Amino acid sequence: MSQLKCDDPVFLHTRREALLILAVWAACLCWVVPYCATYGYRPLPEGTEPELVLGMPGWVFWGVAVPWGAASLASLAMCLFVIQDDDLGEAPESRHDTSESAV
Amino acid sequence: MTCCLLAVGSNAALVTFLVYTAAVFVIAWAANRMLTGKAFLSEYFLGSRSLGMWAFALTFAATSASGGTFTGFPAKIYSHGWILALWIASYMVVPICTMGFVGKRINQLARRCGAITVPDLLRDRFGSPAFGLIATALLVFFMAFNLVAQFKAGSTILKTLILDVPLYGWCVHQLQVFGQQHADSVWMAFLGPHAVVDWGYLMCLVLFGVAVIAYTTYGGFRAVVWTDVMQGVVMVIGVLIMLPLALSQVGGLSNATRQLAKMTPPRIVSLDLRWEQPASEEYRLPRETWLKSGDQPPRIFWTTEGIIVPAGAVEMADVKGMEVTSTDECQRVQQQMEFDSAEVAAARVVEEYQYGMAKNQGGSYVTGPGPMRGDADGFLPLGVAVSFFFMWAISGTGQPQYMVRLMAFKDARTLRRAIMTVTLYFGVIYFPLVIIFCCARVMLPGLDHDPDSIMPRMAVHLTTNVGHGWLAGLLIAAPFAAVMSTVDSFLLVVSSSLVRDVWQRNIDPDASEKTIKRMSYWTTLVIGLIALLGAVNPPRFLQDIIVYVGSGLAAAFLVPVVAALYWPRSNSVGCIAGMLGGFGAHLGMHIWGMLLPGGKFVEPYLLFGLSPVLIGLTSSLVATILLTLATRPPSEDLVRRFFARPGAPVA
Repeated sequence: MSQLKCDDPVFLHTRREALLILAVWAACLCWVVPYCATYGYRPLPEGTEPELVLGMPGWVFWGVAVPWGAASLASLAMCLFVIQDDDLGEAPESRHDTSESAV
Repeated sequence: MTCCLLAVGSNAALVTFLVYTAAVFVIAWAANRMLTGKAFLSEYFLGSRSLGMWAFALTFAATSASGGTFTGFPAKIYSHGWILALWIASYMVVPICTMGFVGKRINQLARRCGAITVPDLLRDRFGSPAFGLIATALLVFFMAFNLVAQFKAGSTILKTLILDVPLYGWCVHQLQVFGQQHADSVWMAFLGPHAVVDWGYLMCLVLFGVAVIAYTTYGGFRAVVWTDVMQGVVMVIGVLIMLPLALSQVGGLSNATRQLAKMTPPRIVSLDLRWEQPASEEYRLPRETWLKSGDQPPRIFWTTEGIIVPAGAVEMADVKGMEVTSTDECQRVQQQMEFDSAEVAAARVVEEYQYGMAKNQGGSYVTGPGPMRGDADGFLPLGVAVSFFFMWAISGTGQPQYMVRLMAFKDARTLRRAIMTVTLYFGVIYFPLVIIFCCARVMLPGLDHDPDSIMPRMAVHLTTNVGHGWLAGLLIAAPFAAVMSTVDSFLLVVSSSLVRDVWQRNIDPDASEKTIKRMSYWTTLVIGLIALLGAVNPPRFLQDIIVYVGSGLAAAFLVPVVAALYWPRSNSVGCIAGMLGGFGAHLGMHIWGMLLPGGKFVEPYLLFGLSPVLIGLTSSLVATILLTLATRPPSEDLVRRFFARPGAPVA
């Protein structure tokens, strides 16, 4: 196996895309959870009003709504500019839906 | 008031249900026509791998949105407030993770080896029939639980929709009479004691179950996909109508959030009631009746059970209820609601929320961790928040019912465009739901004892207020559509595993297409009927079972599948160990939780404060890596087949 080149272009592209997707997920985790933990887990003192942005608590806006928008833009950018239109091969129905299908 | 409102919307709901069911059957008929002239198994279970952008995107989205999205999730928002925005936050990356992370590669490998199920793919990828059978066994084990749970959810939603339709009441009465006449028969023993049989639930279960089983069996995957498309459209329309109505009727989101900030959780109480005049005749005091005490200012309560008040009664003791605990909410309820003539003479506290009542926990509906009845740490402690960020995005990638859809799209361009569509779709569905049901908390007080009903109640309330009660039928069809689209997918995953992975590939490889066709129809039908029977007496804690199944599938399947797709060195021993290790560790956390004093299986032990899915995924990863490196590498032929450029020369 050591001499075999794993050079299937779909494999190489999808592996790179998968790593980038993991990075997007990790970036969202690092933004959302620490921000919400810092600003969203503070009980309101009696008689005070919550800080609001567009009608929602400030920590929800900056900690969830804004990253949600950013993550959506990142996803769209990944789809438009990163994920490639690889040829995934022919469907093998003629081979596999007949009686010789067992390996 | 809400009961009256529900009655207004019920006829619309019944009409919607009938039109909707008819449309589903037309789709199944059309899909069955398409089976003609195509390779049966691939068409019946995978739609001939030809799904276009809209079909693929909406079937993926609709399968993701189960009954929980439109019943359990709104109920949680109503009960715990804005913290649900954090709970659901990782849905911002769910489309790109669940579809993009493995989508293209799993589709390519499935085409390369002709796989039509996940076990099929694993078996071929590693050349190991044993791996295929283990994967099938785990899949059927988990999916069987989930099918029963979803059948119950579907039946419960249908019952909510048509509860106040006169025809429903008449049918239930006939069934009750029939049950009394046959109380000693064998099948009545299966249903349970006549006095406790919920005939309405059973009738809706049969209606819902027969409809889903019939169209899934007859139309196969393509019918499921087409109905998913219709259901996906219904869901998004429902949310898009509700959002502006909720915001305008609550007086703006700022007003709703300010009101929420002043709220404290209700108190569970036992009430003694007193009437100034004795009742002239026996009457029923329904649940959700608003009551006041004689204090100044009065304390406000609502009943959480219906009671019969006998003729001449001037007192009733120990009536179950809840008490509004914040001053602002008391004033609002006094202005908005009608009160019964009974006065609350005494109220004994039965239970207080363990988080959210104390002075240093103010604004619990707009801050974390959110009010919680049975846990002093609140609804979403930070460790659990981290777990949920893994739960939705990462473990969602490991769900076999999604993987099957990823085998069915037409080409890579379709995948890219579908990810964009689902990203926008989830953005339009999930965050607006948080806003809508935070408004519901302010607009419809007094439902803490029955939060699961908030979706239909809110739909009816909003549409009736604007004079378009008929719209409620469309809005409350959304949760029904969500459950249907999930059940049909699970049903096909189970039947395809049994027909393809067990029968065709292990018992009768030479089976003719006619035999396979007959087996596919019968297996789908029989599995559906077994699940329906299982839901006649469903186990308790069904929502917890759904969570157990989802996280268990991820713990067992995610790491082995990712290794199969992206790690040429991975082998069957390592990946089987990873699958069983993830399954075992996840199950172990639940058993550990059960063995603790007063523990239950559905309340797992949180090792290091983390959810079992994280423990399972970690165990699966460690087992896969260690066992793979400790055993022989896979054969060159196998690696070349799946990792080398097609047509590359053999070394």
